[in-house]
Amino acid sequence: MAIVTFDEATRTYPNSDQPAVDRLSLEVRDGEFLVLVGPSGCGKTTTLRMLAGLENVDEGEILIDGKSVVNLAPRDRDIAMVFQNYALYPHMSVAQNMGFALRMAKVPKSEIEERVRAAAKILDIEDYLERKPRQLSGGQRQRVAMGRAIVRQPRVFLMDEPLSNLDAKLRVATRAEIAALQRNLGVTTVYVTHDQVEAMTMGDRVAVMKDGVLQQCDTPQTLYDEPANVFVAGFIGSPSMNLLEGTVADGGVRLGSTTVLAAADLRVPAGTAVTVGVRPESLAITSGGGGIPATVSMVEELGSEAFVHARLADGVEPAVKGEDTIVARFEPRTAPAAGELIHLGVKNGAMQLFDASSGARIVAGS
Amino acid sequence: MALSRRHAMNFIAIMILLFFTAFFFVPIIWLFLAPTKTDGQLLTESPFAFGSLSTLAHTFHRIVTYSDDSVLIWLKNSAIYSFGGTALAILAAIPAGYALALTHFIGRRLLLAITLVVMIMPATALVLPLFLEINKLGLYGTIWALILPFGFFPFGVYLTYIYFSATIPKDLLAAARIDGAGEWRVFWHIALPLARPIVALVGFFAFVASWNNFFLPFVMTYDSSQYPIQIGLQQLIGSTASFNPANYSAGSSIVVLHRPDLAMAVIIAIAPVLLVFLFAQRSLVTGMLAGATKE
Repeated sequence: MAIVTFDEATRTYPNSDQPAVDRLSLEVRDGEFLVLVGPSGCGKTTTLRMLAGLENVDEGEILIDGKSVVNLAPRDRDIAMVFQNYALYPHMSVAQNMGFALRMAKVPKSEIEERVRAAAKILDIEDYLERKPRQLSGGQRQRVAMGRAIVRQPRVFLMDEPLSNLDAKLRVATRAEIAALQRNLGVTTVYVTHDQVEAMTMGDRVAVMKDGVLQQCDTPQTLYDEPANVFVAGFIGSPSMNLLEGTVADGGVRLGSTTVLAAADLRVPAGTAVTVGVRPESLAITSGGGGIPATVSMVEELGSEAFVHARLADGVEPAVKGEDTIVARFEPRTAPAAGELIHLGVKNGAMQLFDASSGARIVAGS
Repeated sequence: MALSRRHAMNFIAIMILLFFTAFFFVPIIWLFLAPTKTDGQLLTESPFAFGSLSTLAHTFHRIVTYSDDSVLIWLKNSAIYSFGGTALAILAAIPAGYALALTHFIGRRLLLAITLVVMIMPATALVLPLFLEINKLGLYGTIWALILPFGFFPFGVYLTYIYFSATIPKDLLAAARIDGAGEWRVFWHIALPLARPIVALVGFFAFVASWNNFFLPFVMTYDSSQYPIQIGLQQLIGSTASFNPANYSAGSSIVVLHRPDLAMAVIIAIAPVLLVFLFAQRSLVTGMLAGATKE
């Protein structure tokens, strides 16, 4: 049980002038499951490795329970880590793998055996204890890697994309298991992933990073409903939020030749250039004129829902040049056919506005 | 047309291969057959003729007991020098290669470059300065004069460096560090058990280099009782009648050797290397790392 604090922690790799992690300040609460998410190269793994002691901290501090760990060797930090490729010791049996840390800590043999057995029971790998890693399937190896971490009863768990080597079905099942296990054990956990679905489903809070800079750290629902900026808005949610170029007009936003009415007072002077974000589920075909005009190019019928990809028409411009497709969610079997020209309205004015130049969210008044 | 041309090409290729196979195998076959014949038979009979087993036993007995079991003493000396040198080479090369591959320290790149450069340098070039050094240290004439120089084995360091940088995932060592192992225990508990194939390979090369070394023991030893087998072989050539007709005229009472005896001595000299090779080969199993990580 521990509180982890990043205080302006910075890491710049040699031969690089751009920091991989740039003045990161973040607090992981006691017992919390915090997910670090972002595209590859955003600094999330570096952040984790800095906490593990595998990467130097060039500036700033990292504290566990208020004590700086910056100058401690990995072995003195009382943390356990699950690696993306598991990093199981190939020459040791499953039981030896799981007991290695305890052996290093000179825990008596009988106690090691007991704790390994207990952890194996939790993870349902008791039958494989005498096997070597190469005799295990991917899913079993993943469990052993988890087991190696929980046997230690560390202060903090670190997990670096532990599910990325599993197939899709196993990943979903293991995702739920890890989240449940963490809640049972109550150990503070920092979990790195590039998969926003994993982040949203597992984390108590999710920290979104980009180019070494923390963009936003909040609960999954808040990230979804109130993204701090255009990047978070586009990164969280699948399919992504639609981002369009617009101008604030009286009581709404002008997109091309149409105006979409806002639900609340925008508190932004008319004529201000903004980026408008609309989730696919907030779009619907308008019956009585108006709406964003678009030509359906593709329909994804998923059974429980359908996603319509449509090409923007009539002077409506996307915020990102070239990405001129708008995505709308439909109930199954109600989607328009490809080639049709549709007009999409925003339900209840549920849109997000972002500053066109800085990308920061503009908070509307109620 | 195309088919027959391909046949012709195949035929030529096979002919070339057969020629070279014969070219290299004939001397070896001759060598292994020679001790079964007497010196006279060696000249009169076909090169591939098999003499007799009793002649072979006789030849073996003659060479082994020659000059108060000299051959056995030389073999024993060779074994001491080679096993000692090999142990030292492994002890030095494996940790050095590991450090160059998987740790960071100031001067690492420079050391790596130096390793490569000295690897190219012929070992013979160092024999004279080594002799002077050993002499100054008062080790001349001791077994250390032939063992200590093998602690310097840049080729082994380089092989180990390549092995560790190519096969051991860095995460494996990171995992051990997080699990509470210090640098020494990371090496001892994780890296070394996974390095068995390279320990065997470096050991084998070091053993062969030491066993077959001629010039270093030639300089460092002064008495027949210290000779390794390679120097001994040279002495045997000096005692072979056919190579030194002036010294051994017919009817002389000195025990002389003949060519089949010399061939037998050569076979005895290479046998340990063959044995070590068979032994090391078993340890050269790959796939030790399967299952460590999933790439």
